Amino acid sequence: MEETREVQGAWELSTFKFRIEGDGFQLMLNSMKDAKLKGLKCQECGTVYCPAPFYCRKCHVFIDDEVEVSDHGEVMTYTIGYADVRGEPLDEPRVSCMVKLDGCDTWFMGVLDEVEPDDVHIGMRVKLKWNEERVGSLQDMEAFIPE
Amino acid sequence: MRNVGIIGVGYTPVFVSKRKDVSIPEMISEAVDAAFDNTGLTPQDIDAITFGNMHTFEGVNMPHLWGAEHIRSLGKPVMRIATGGTTGMSAFQAGYYHVASGLHDVVMIVTYEKHSEGDAQVGLMGIITPEVMAMLASGIDVTGGKGMGAIGGGSAGGISYQAMSYLNHAGAGIEHIDGIAAMERRNAAKNPYAHLKDPNATAETIAKTPLVSYPIRFGHICPTTDGATVCIIASEEKAKELADKVAWVWAVSNCASDATTGNLIEGLITDPAEQMPCIIAARQAYERAGIKDPKTEFDVIEIYNGFAHQTLMFLEKLGVCEVGEAHKLLEAGELERDGRFPTNASGGVVSTNAIGTSALNRVTECALQIMGKAEGGHQVDKDVHKALAHGWGGLMQYVTVTILGDEPRKG
Amino acid sequence: MDINVAVAGFNMTPCSSDLVTTRERMTFELSSGLFDDLGITRDDVGTYIIATNDFLDGRTISNVFLDAPVGAYMKDESKVEMDGLNALMYACMRIMTGQYETALVLAFGLTGYQVSPYLHIDYIMDPTYDRQVKLLNELSAAALQARCYLDKFGYSEELLDEIAAKDLSNAALDPYQLRQLSDISKEKVKGSDYLYEPLRELHCYPPTDGGIVVLLASGEKAKELTDKPVWIKGMGQSIDPYYIGDRDLSVSPSTTQAAKRAYDMAGITDPKGQVDVAEISSLFACQEPLLAEALGLLDQGRAADVYASGDTAIDGKLPINPSGGPLGAHPICATGLLRMAEAVRQLRGEAEKNQVAKAETAVVHGQDGVCAQQNVVVVLGT
Repeated sequence: MEETREVQGAWELSTFKFRIEGDGFQLMLNSMKDAKLKGLKCQECGTVYCPAPFYCRKCHVFIDDEVEVSDHGEVMTYTIGYADVRGEPLDEPRVSCMVKLDGCDTWFMGVLDEVEPDDVHIGMRVKLKWNEERVGSLQDMEAFIPE
Repeated sequence: MRNVGIIGVGYTPVFVSKRKDVSIPEMISEAVDAAFDNTGLTPQDIDAITFGNMHTFEGVNMPHLWGAEHIRSLGKPVMRIATGGTTGMSAFQAGYYHVASGLHDVVMIVTYEKHSEGDAQVGLMGIITPEVMAMLASGIDVTGGKGMGAIGGGSAGGISYQAMSYLNHAGAGIEHIDGIAAMERRNAAKNPYAHLKDPNATAETIAKTPLVSYPIRFGHICPTTDGATVCIIASEEKAKELADKVAWVWAVSNCASDATTGNLIEGLITDPAEQMPCIIAARQAYERAGIKDPKTEFDVIEIYNGFAHQTLMFLEKLGVCEVGEAHKLLEAGELERDGRFPTNASGGVVSTNAIGTSALNRVTECALQIMGKAEGGHQVDKDVHKALAHGWGGLMQYVTVTILGDEPRKG
Repeated sequence: MDINVAVAGFNMTPCSSDLVTTRERMTFELSSGLFDDLGITRDDVGTYIIATNDFLDGRTISNVFLDAPVGAYMKDESKVEMDGLNALMYACMRIMTGQYETALVLAFGLTGYQVSPYLHIDYIMDPTYDRQVKLLNELSAAALQARCYLDKFGYSEELLDEIAAKDLSNAALDPYQLRQLSDISKEKVKGSDYLYEPLRELHCYPPTDGGIVVLLASGEKAKELTDKPVWIKGMGQSIDPYYIGDRDLSVSPSTTQAAKRAYDMAGITDPKGQVDVAEISSLFACQEPLLAEALGLLDQGRAADVYASGDTAIDGKLPINPSGGPLGAHPICATGLLRMAEAVRQLRGEAEKNQVAKAETAVVHGQDGVCAQQNVVVVLGT
């Protein structure tokens, strides 16, 4: 094998200023202060999104009909985490799930507490446990818990 | 629309974690040389080139410019395609349209990835960097440590939700994921161009690997690989002139959903195991290819599976078997090389993942099987008349399907 | 060759230094606007090709969040990571197979998002040598090219001022252009600062936010959608070596090769005689005559005379960049398609203050890489 050399390099994708669509997300965050969840409904096909984009992906139209979705729903899928995104082991296994909230067509991701991992099953009913003090951030929701 | 055939394939001599002996263009050049050696063609015979790779993983923008000479492209049309995990097959499909349109007769598709010279984590996070930053600003804990805001899924991310949902739909268990991962690592041991080879892998040995996020274990996850793959295609007339064995393209198709499970700012999340784009792309490919019954017509199948459960999931989504049947076929040995539905005889993406090449390798492996040229013992024993290649990528949202046959498509 | 594909319509944003929008919203508005104009919906579009650049957008797989806004939800979409004119070629190929009747091409560049507007070229540089030596960036390389070109024929730097003044006064007539300098003159151009000698600020493109969608259609379908289809008569691409030391920077062989492929398809044997108007992606003033020579529209050594005589002006014998070209606006990835859109306006007689007298055949050019290493040429006709 011939000699090769290594040279150091770097590149950053994070040196950009970003703008993202956040109105629907903000709508939801604001409603959380009152322990509610608000989304948008497409006036053409009736799909309810929460948190909502500014358009319906199926109908390709602007949407702005505000609707409230329930904070109760059904576990559609879940996982039991043993490591975090970097691969570092967690102190104890933690369940997170995707929940279809009643009245909403999109699924909500979150942790599932107050239940043993072995007792979790797809289809179980859960509800959001709200923080007593809410300021309009995702921390206002503590976890999903069994209904 | 004229017929197109694959007349040659070239791989880098090895697909491994780190190629310290070559630079990126040099590595690509090896695969180009291999393709010319295998076909007896020279650069003069090539009319146009399509080029694919996920450049944000190595930090080199538009690497076909830096590597212009290494891919023998000077003075030629070059088109660069980059679509995430499906890149290899998207580049193949672009090449296909170059020929099928009548514009060019002989086209070379070049793909590569050199993960060791980059940072895959930066590349992957870059898909959703702005969303991650926005979530951080709103109180979410992206590392998955504590609190409601945790994304969950650990380093496997949303894939673990997909796997769990799949097991539920199919009535399968984690032991089946262990089993398919083991089968593919054993298959990889007979493929000189595979990365993670383990001739002794069993469901039990895979089950001993640590759980990342139930039901995903380390043993179920693809590696990051350095490698390049080149494929040469030609019009029907040219293919018959230039090659004795041709793998004919019967159909290509492609379908895109929105960014599932990555777009946490906008509620576009639904069942990551539904994979509607796969169902649509498959249906479209079958129509174009004249496939009446995907359950009986394919002799070889190559599925894009960055995570082992996806082999089983996509076999069902592609209609090769009913929902809930894939793991039973696995148990009965029917997915093995000598079974009724040889699947991922190459070892699949779960054994070799140089991302830019991964979707193209599904096509080239099917082509090699049709041509009877798969090396190292991973050639299936029977005649291969029709093969199905599947690619997957984006944020769980893109599916490409290519169908190959051992004679030109009629009609 | 009978391609039988036409531009049925397009929708582009007036360019800005900061569009204060998101990629998704801009994409959604561009495509909805075009659908409304043509009286179609996303159901009428067969396939989609997107041209964006991951390094420019700061996102891996930058088309991931664009599928739904452009209208490609659950449909066939692919991405060409190059100047949008290449994406147009790919879309055209797809229609030529007969598999699709219509194709929507999207391209945009939001340079306003970048900390440095020349970043995407920095990352094109070879990491093992050029990035280590750190001499080259987009501007210094362009300056080297400018010096080569001027010295080869003994032109003075004032030629650059003349070219830029012509382009910028054209741009001031075009509402889509970013630079609106209605009182521009050669003296004002000369008064702008040097960025890298001999290139001054007004010899170079401005960092731009802008985007465009184009709908291509097969012959019959195009005639249904519009009474002014503009036909793709020929197209070609080619590429030069990467290391600028391996190239003669005063010429562009790949542009000549790409043009030959396009001209042969279009039946053009005498470009100067048969082409009525040219829209060239010349990112720096010196590139305009250099690329025009490579396209066979200008004789080598004659640039100073030709520009001085007014031949390249809107009312000249062979108008080049009547829109003002990229010196007016350069949204990276979209520029080639913007040139095409300007050519389409010309051929439809809708270019208003930029309209040239005779516009039946146009040549459009796009580029990628350092000093136009890779080039694409499309010939359009009425």
